Amino acid sequence: MVRIGFLSIAHLHASSYGRALKKLPQAELVGIYDPDQKRGRAGAKTMQTKYFSQAEALLEKVDGVIVCSENSRHRDFTELAAAHGKDVLCEKPIATTLEDAQAMITACQEGGVRLQIAFPVRFNTPVRRLKEIVDAGAIGDILAIRGTNRGRMPGGWFVDPQLSGGGAVLDHTVHVVDLLRWFLNREFTSAYAEIDSLLYNLGIDDCGLLSLEMEGGIFVTQDPSWSRPATFPTWGDVTLKMVGSAGQLYLDAFAQNFLVYNDQENKVMEQSFAEDMDLGLIQDFVEMVASGRQASISGYDGLQALKVALAAYESARVKRPVAIS
Amino acid sequence: MGRVHSKAFQEMEGVRLIGVAEPDPQRRAQAEQDLGVDTFAGAQDLLGIEALDLVDICVPTYLHSAVFQEALKARKHIFCEKPLARTWEEGEQILDLARGYPGKIGIGHVVRFMPQYLGIRNSVLAGEIGQAAVVRTFRGGARFPRGWQDWFSDFELSGGVILDLTIHDLDYLRWLFGEVERVYAKTTRERSPARLEYALIILRFKNGVIAHVEGSWANYEGDFYTKVEIAGNRGLINYDSREANPLIRFSAENNSAAAVAVPENPALKSPYFLELEDMIKAIREDRPPAVSAAEALASLKVALAAIKSAQTGQVITL
Repeated sequence: MVRIGFLSIAHLHASSYGRALKKLPQAELVGIYDPDQKRGRAGAKTMQTKYFSQAEALLEKVDGVIVCSENSRHRDFTELAAAHGKDVLCEKPIATTLEDAQAMITACQEGGVRLQIAFPVRFNTPVRRLKEIVDAGAIGDILAIRGTNRGRMPGGWFVDPQLSGGGAVLDHTVHVVDLLRWFLNREFTSAYAEIDSLLYNLGIDDCGLLSLEMEGGIFVTQDPSWSRPATFPTWGDVTLKMVGSAGQLYLDAFAQNFLVYNDQENKVMEQSFAEDMDLGLIQDFVEMVASGRQASISGYDGLQALKVALAAYESARVKRPVAIS
Repeated sequence: MGRVHSKAFQEMEGVRLIGVAEPDPQRRAQAEQDLGVDTFAGAQDLLGIEALDLVDICVPTYLHSAVFQEALKARKHIFCEKPLARTWEEGEQILDLARGYPGKIGIGHVVRFMPQYLGIRNSVLAGEIGQAAVVRTFRGGARFPRGWQDWFSDFELSGGVILDLTIHDLDYLRWLFGEVERVYAKTTRERSPARLEYALIILRFKNGVIAHVEGSWANYEGDFYTKVEIAGNRGLINYDSREANPLIRFSAENNSAAAVAVPENPALKSPYFLELEDMIKAIREDRPPAVSAAEALASLKVALAAIKSAQTGQVITL
């Protein structure tokens, strides 16, 4: 049995990861530590597990931890887990600064533990199929890619720069960047971005348009805006259009849905019939903890995705494209 | 485009199509047969006709400037297909020569006459989505159209996908949001196979709006289509021409189960008819046409800035 605990459940994904753990016969959700006792206890009740008022007490009883804290606290929790010799699955983005991200990677190396970053979209079934198609060279040389990862404004600590480290651009750039690094096995080399706070006026970026370049001259645009209004029938999207020298590929990762027109709640909603990508992510992490293999999505992957998002912010500040080292 | 415009003029009440100037003898014969009007080998022969009030310039982009100048000398009212000119210098020269011109000059930015684009603009201006913030447009088809001597796919002659096609959206967005502050663009032009080009442009408008403008003559799915999405702080507008077709016909050939879809979006007056009707009314009512040469020059400037950005890798501030 692989014993897993949560170090903070501030991020909404924690509840979905908790449900995934319950579905896995080889995994046991030992408990939740959260510095916010109220949130921790409520989460423990929902997930039918134990609340720990001390992180150390939880760490003694687990094989691995899932860090679902606010972004700026990822480093502290990851370092704590590493010091206790426990493997870590850390919610994306890896951190809010390159310094923190690097420190997390180093701490895990020194603690002899493995650090995995939670990029669940890699476990979306249409995404995995797309990777097979790309790997088979189905559209020739890839010339250009148009991506979106738009959503509703999430609110809460996501719009507090001290805790999130950034708004829409940090929140929603790393998914698409990670997918493309994984698909194409190339790094991003430059970033241009227009970033602003035009939708919610909350003192944090809520929209942006990025134009990126990858090794080999592939250009990529990415829209991370929180531009889905409250009345939109779903939370958001992950889409890619890949234009090649001999074809074209479209991905709409969450298109497996049907529409429900609900008079009782006066809304129209998409209802998904997709396979659970979060289950795929958690299963992969649990299997890693149980085995001797390396993380399928490493701290380095997290660091590289963060670099692109931070370069976009820098570009928007200086109003010109910036190189990514 | 000359054929479309000719048919529109012939359908218009109180307007007579006098003739067509066309250097290519085969096309000239075709025009005589289709339209039943006199044809001329050179523009001068047509422009010399006293009874001619309006000349409609539908030559390839790189010839706009030369023909425009001939028409100006003939003192006719002028309608010219977009873009205004192939280069900034040519465009400016047209404006210079047209200063104080007694005739009316209108440019064919037809998207401003498309009912869906007009409707979207009206919704935005009425505040239905609050303050506009993030805009995305798409316009594209399979390959560069096959024009006279394949001029569309020659960048020097047509300006490629950005100047020939994407300028529709650049002009529309300017009409809706005002002037552009910065442009950053990428295109596959240097790397894509012949007759294909795909461009992605990011704009920042002076009013703060940011826009993602996608242009393609590299649509492998074949059909031409357009999209507009405008996100505001109180709502969202979404348009996809593929989802707005009231009629779709599938005609199977040779008993084949698979037939080609032919969508139709019928209207009593096509946007081409409407833009030319506006031009005629402008002459009759002695008022400016909907799209002036100065407006078209401002849109040309944005398109050329996008091309320059793609060529240099730099952001272009206007």
